Amino acid sequence: MATATATVPTGPTAPTFRRAGFGDVVSSEWMKLRTVRSTFWTLVALFAGSAAVSLLICLAAADQYAKDRAAGNPDSSPDIVMLGLLFIGQIAAYVLGVMTISAEYSTGAIRSTLSAMPRRVEILVAKAILLAVVVFVVGLAAAFACFYLGNIPLQAKHVGVKLSDPGVLRGVFGSALYVAGLSVFGLAMGFLLRHTAGAITIGLALIFIIGGLVQLIPGSIGRWLYKVMPGNAGAQVSQFGEMKRNADKNFAPWTGFTVFMLEVVVLLVIGAILFERRDA
Amino acid sequence: MIRAVGLTKRYGDRLAVDHADFTVESGTVTGFLGPNGAGKSTTMRMILGLDHPTAGTVTVSGRPYRQLPAPLREVGALLDAKAVHGGRSAYNHLACLATSNRIPLKRVDEVISLVGLDRVAKKRSKSFSLGMGQRLGIAAALLGDPGTLLFDEPVNGLDPEGILWVRNLMKSLAAQGRTVFVSSHLMSEMALTADRVIVIGRGEIKADTTMREFIAQNASTHVRVRSPHLGKLHELMTGTGWQVEAAPDDEDALRVYDVTSDAVGELAGQNGLWLHELAVVQPSLEEAFMSMTADSVEYHAGLGGMEPGASGGSGTDPGAATNTAVAQPGRPNGEAR
Repeated sequence: MATATATVPTGPTAPTFRRAGFGDVVSSEWMKLRTVRSTFWTLVALFAGSAAVSLLICLAAADQYAKDRAAGNPDSSPDIVMLGLLFIGQIAAYVLGVMTISAEYSTGAIRSTLSAMPRRVEILVAKAILLAVVVFVVGLAAAFACFYLGNIPLQAKHVGVKLSDPGVLRGVFGSALYVAGLSVFGLAMGFLLRHTAGAITIGLALIFIIGGLVQLIPGSIGRWLYKVMPGNAGAQVSQFGEMKRNADKNFAPWTGFTVFMLEVVVLLVIGAILFERRDA
Repeated sequence: MIRAVGLTKRYGDRLAVDHADFTVESGTVTGFLGPNGAGKSTTMRMILGLDHPTAGTVTVSGRPYRQLPAPLREVGALLDAKAVHGGRSAYNHLACLATSNRIPLKRVDEVISLVGLDRVAKKRSKSFSLGMGQRLGIAAALLGDPGTLLFDEPVNGLDPEGILWVRNLMKSLAAQGRTVFVSSHLMSEMALTADRVIVIGRGEIKADTTMREFIAQNASTHVRVRSPHLGKLHELMTGTGWQVEAAPDDEDALRVYDVTSDAVGELAGQNGLWLHELAVVQPSLEEAFMSMTADSVEYHAGLGGMEPGASGGSGTDPGAATNTAVAQPGRPNGEAR
């Protein structure tokens, strides 16, 4: 395969080229996102995994849910149809976000990336925008899939939920927004820790374990911490309507999502500062 | 042109690069030599803006790397062959890099054929051998058709044909007026390829000169004599006022400085002494390098007799020593004997 002759076209380039702009960085990052298999499989897991889990949960819970509704149990909410997305979907979105940068560090590709494009903040911003858009689009498809599939067993028990019910459309779109935000949260954690396993472990522990444990802290501090934990705050926007559970413990939907987005932005800014300062 | 001024990098309390001043001139192949841990890679990473200098500056074509409008158009670098995502194909890896610098994708096909990776371009690079990875790194360096090229250990993992290819490539790149800055620990390879040499030891620049001058200044030509009458010969030669020393690698040989081989042969003949070997030995880059950096090697191997400066000769295996002796004259800097 070796071509033994070294033929290099032309001489040193005359400076006729244009400056590589932010658009070029976005195109390059978009190509990078598309050309690794992990992106494809994570998005498949996000869509298919969420839809399948929503269907299974609703199949298993439809009977009990119908009884609770009939008894007027305030803890029962039709947003159980979205649980697949809030379980598998948020893991997949977070992992995709982490991997988008941590895989570059673990493979060493970051050195090629930064040699080609040393304006580091542009790379971070491009990655964040692309992730948010891609995960929102796939997340929205997954949210509708969860909604319609989860509804099948509920409708069979005559307790189906309609998109026109109060807060439902907001909850479906909100779920997609939440997972999109979560992927950017993962990206920020990846930039901070530069280590796939570390960032995934810490992030998932924060959302699934610590987020619940902080309510054990007594008094108003514990209640406040519970409210502002990223998973708790962000997920409020995915809850359906006025039947939202534990209304006293949580933020209102958009307030929670705003708090979550502020947390993501703060992490991303810290990530950008460290990315700019640290040796690659 | 690459210019470093007072370039310094400190990791904790270890000074990796210490106020380095050097210039890599256009149109030359400049070798960058130094023992392991001397600061070669750190220097190259600072040139590329990957590591931040603790103090000092380094510029490429007069600008810090981070201010280059489209870096790949001006600087191509092969730092390590493994700076790729193994899950991406060679073509896609290069296409991603090209896109970020607004380089047309047809250039990707060009550099792929240039380095001879056509048949594996669509394969994921994790299946690549070290040599193929090296070729992919060189392809990436050539993407933007840049005026300045940095290669860190480019022949690592290449087969002999590949080494020849890289050697010719570097020479042709320099002949086109490009700046080529290449580090290697393979001294013979450097002696064949580089016109200029920058030597770094323990973070300090020890030399920044032409290859020829560097060798001439740091190791001297001598006449090698092997004879069964070594003691007698030694006496005669010192009596004539010549500078003689025992060859460090062979107890049956002497080194004579500042004389011609003719004079040594005649002296032996006049006294009826037999010679088993008489040769003019051109110093090698390796010797020059060793004599310069002997005190700045970070990690010495624990082989007492092999260390520079240790009293040589006594314990060496004569068979092995003869082999070295024969090999040595074959390493001149392309100069006539």
